[in-house]
Amino acid sequence: MNVSRAAVRACGLVRTHGEGQSRVRAVDEVDLEVPEGQMLAVMGPSGCGKSTLLHLLGGLERPTDGQVWVAGRRIDTLSERALARMRRRSVGFVFQAFHLMEELSASENVELPALLAGRSRRQARRRAGLLLERVGLADRARHLPSQLSGGQRQRVAVARALVNDPLVVLADEPTGNLDTAATLDVLRIFEELRTAGQTFVIVTHDERVAATADRLVSMRDGMFVDDTRLAGSTTTGLGGLGGLIGLEG
Amino acid sequence: MGSIVLVARLVLADVRRHQAQAAMLLLAVTVATATMALGLSLRSVSEALYEQTRTATAGPDLVALSGETGPAVTSALTELAGSPGVAAHHGPYRIVYADLTTRDATSSRVVVHGFAEKPAAVNRPLVTSGQWIRPGGTVLERGFATALHVGVGDRVTIAGRPYPVVGIAVTAATSIYPGASQIGPYGGPSDYSGLAWMTRSDARALASSHDLPVTLAVDLELRDPAATQAFRDAHHDSTVRINFRSWQFTAQQDLAMLKGSRPILVVGSWLLSFLAITGVAALAAGRAVQQTRRAGLLKAVGAGPGLIATVLLTEYLALALAGDALGLLVARLTAPAIASPTASRIGDAAGPTGATVVTATVLAVAVAVLSTLRPTLRAMRTATVTALTATPHQPRHRPHLTALSALLPTPLLLGLRLTARRPGRALLQACSTATTVIAIVALLTMHAQQERGYGLNGSPVLPNLRGEHDRRLMLAVAILLIALAVVNTITFTWTTAVEARANMAIARTLGATPGQVSAGLSIAQLLPGLPGAVLGVPLGSGLLSLFAARNAVEAPSSWLLAAVLATLLATAALTALPARLAARRPVARALSAETA
Repeated sequence: MNVSRAAVRACGLVRTHGEGQSRVRAVDEVDLEVPEGQMLAVMGPSGCGKSTLLHLLGGLERPTDGQVWVAGRRIDTLSERALARMRRRSVGFVFQAFHLMEELSASENVELPALLAGRSRRQARRRAGLLLERVGLADRARHLPSQLSGGQRQRVAVARALVNDPLVVLADEPTGNLDTAATLDVLRIFEELRTAGQTFVIVTHDERVAATADRLVSMRDGMFVDDTRLAGSTTTGLGGLGGLIGLEG
Repeated sequence: MGSIVLVARLVLADVRRHQAQAAMLLLAVTVATATMALGLSLRSVSEALYEQTRTATAGPDLVALSGETGPAVTSALTELAGSPGVAAHHGPYRIVYADLTTRDATSSRVVVHGFAEKPAAVNRPLVTSGQWIRPGGTVLERGFATALHVGVGDRVTIAGRPYPVVGIAVTAATSIYPGASQIGPYGGPSDYSGLAWMTRSDARALASSHDLPVTLAVDLELRDPAATQAFRDAHHDSTVRINFRSWQFTAQQDLAMLKGSRPILVVGSWLLSFLAITGVAALAAGRAVQQTRRAGLLKAVGAGPGLIATVLLTEYLALALAGDALGLLVARLTAPAIASPTASRIGDAAGPTGATVVTATVLAVAVAVLSTLRPTLRAMRTATVTALTATPHQPRHRPHLTALSALLPTPLLLGLRLTARRPGRALLQACSTATTVIAIVALLTMHAQQERGYGLNGSPVLPNLRGEHDRRLMLAVAILLIALAVVNTITFTWTTAVEARANMAIARTLGATPGQVSAGLSIAQLLPGLPGAVLGVPLGSGLLSLFAARNAVEAPSSWLLAAVLATLLATAALTALPARLAARRPVARALSAETA
């Protein structure tokens, strides 16, 4: 296993919730390696531990046992402060509920991680402008989240996740709150990013999303039960999405 | 009846769920109403204590004094005592002006009244310890003895002659200590003096041995005690100069000692009420969404606007009225000590007057209503379905502040944006800080005053009781104000942290450290606190100038600057703990709660 080339790696990962008889192993002895540039989809029924796994990989939760590496650095032993710095540099998050700051415009939401990373206001604004253009929302930069549709909000969230050029984007049900058209918009953006070499870990219920990935891991009761390489996606980036569009049609 | 039971049950259940908030409202209203009731009661309590002392000591209706001595004066005073309007009298008697020194070398002016060993019909000082005068011994007035720390059995030196203190007594014939000298030697200006009694022969011997100044006085009981002014007008003697001191005048003089106390307590109660309103308003705003959902639930099950308003307001009103009752009780218990700082009067204070009770109750109700009316009205006006799914009021977009904050380091960026989310709360925090600084400025200014002590030639060996009393009261009010401001600051920080929980969790997923989030929450309180603290200095000085004496001096600028800095540092320290606790909340849990 080549650690240096893995964007994310987990070994013997365990996360339990609760005490005594109500103790639940949300993530149970999971081993995982996501090479740079790979788009990994994690599927499974509700409550199988997908989101917990994503939180562990991004340092939002600490494992009960096991180790996690991001960009070759072990993170499960880091302090909260060091974890925050790691997230600034290496991780971008996309959530099902978008989690945009309601009092900030689209542009201001995208600028925020850049400002937290110490970039100047001008640099942050320029970068936010570029990314909003890339996700097709240049004309909505000054809009508040409440003035955007669900799909547009999620595209803002994607732009925000990318503003610091993270090594990996961790997406938790990114299309869970979107209609079909908005889902396709988001998937198109993911596909472009994957083609450009962006590493993704996407937790999803949605087979259409999973179909765009290079690799699909299935989870049940906190454990991996299947790990499949999706050849179509790796050979031609748009193949998966094309199939998806075909399915929709 | 059913509605009343329902409201009572709902209110009790809500109080049980929010015990800390209930305790805070109760405490704030108790403190505010107690202070206001005390301030408003001082006059009546002081008058009541004088009246009880007057009754217990057969206090004269009029005291006639002459700065001169001699047969003509004695004759004039005797003639006055025999006037038709006089029911009884005591005297004429000598008043000797001397210096008194205790064993620990504390010296003071003293006026010695030469009295009979057998009490007269008028002006019978009440012995509170020891016994009445006997040859060779002296009795000291209680307020004077307390200030000198002298008791029965001690020895004092008066005009160089040693006397054992055989008793301690009170009288209503003179003003409270240090106002025993009603006129000065030879009818001139009087100085701070205590009062002592001796037998007539001892007083005569004392005066003649050192050729001490002497005046003469006679105590009169009038047939119509209220007609003191008419008696004076009818007995104006152009040949002998006689000064009259009526019982009304003496009672009024007692209040002079409390001149500074009333504004301290009344203005203090306004400030305390203001802090109570700001604190409770912040808590009520924090519960606004919950209250709106509750109103929606009540509407959904058929409650009308009246019942909903009753349910939402009754909790606050009931707690405020309980606080009001407690405050009035506290005022009732502490009033005698505060209205009688010299121990020169006896008796118990009556309860607060009807007007005081009404004013304190209006204040308590105002605190409850002003702090909760807005969320209550909003809850009542919201449509049922909307109310059932109420979400926190979304902050406004403030592009200029957001752009400005982008130029700042992360903690300031977060702090400024948090401040901008809830400008109303920022204003409350600024007002709360300004109120604290006003109290500190008042305290410092009072300590900067130069006062004439009650010892010989203004020596501070006997402290100025009025100044001491005012400073003690100001300290008590300032401590209460600061305590409420501390509670408010912690409440504001915690409420801000709870409301911004989701945003702070998002910021942490984007790379903000817990320290930066914690610092941001503290800064969100400090930013409005800064102008509040700075404004508090001129506001405090301005407020004081309304009540200060003409020759009052201002506190040194260095003290005021230190007060501002100390207030800001204290705010930072107070916000640190709740901010730190809030910032340590796991990010994933905060985000899940937001999504749920």
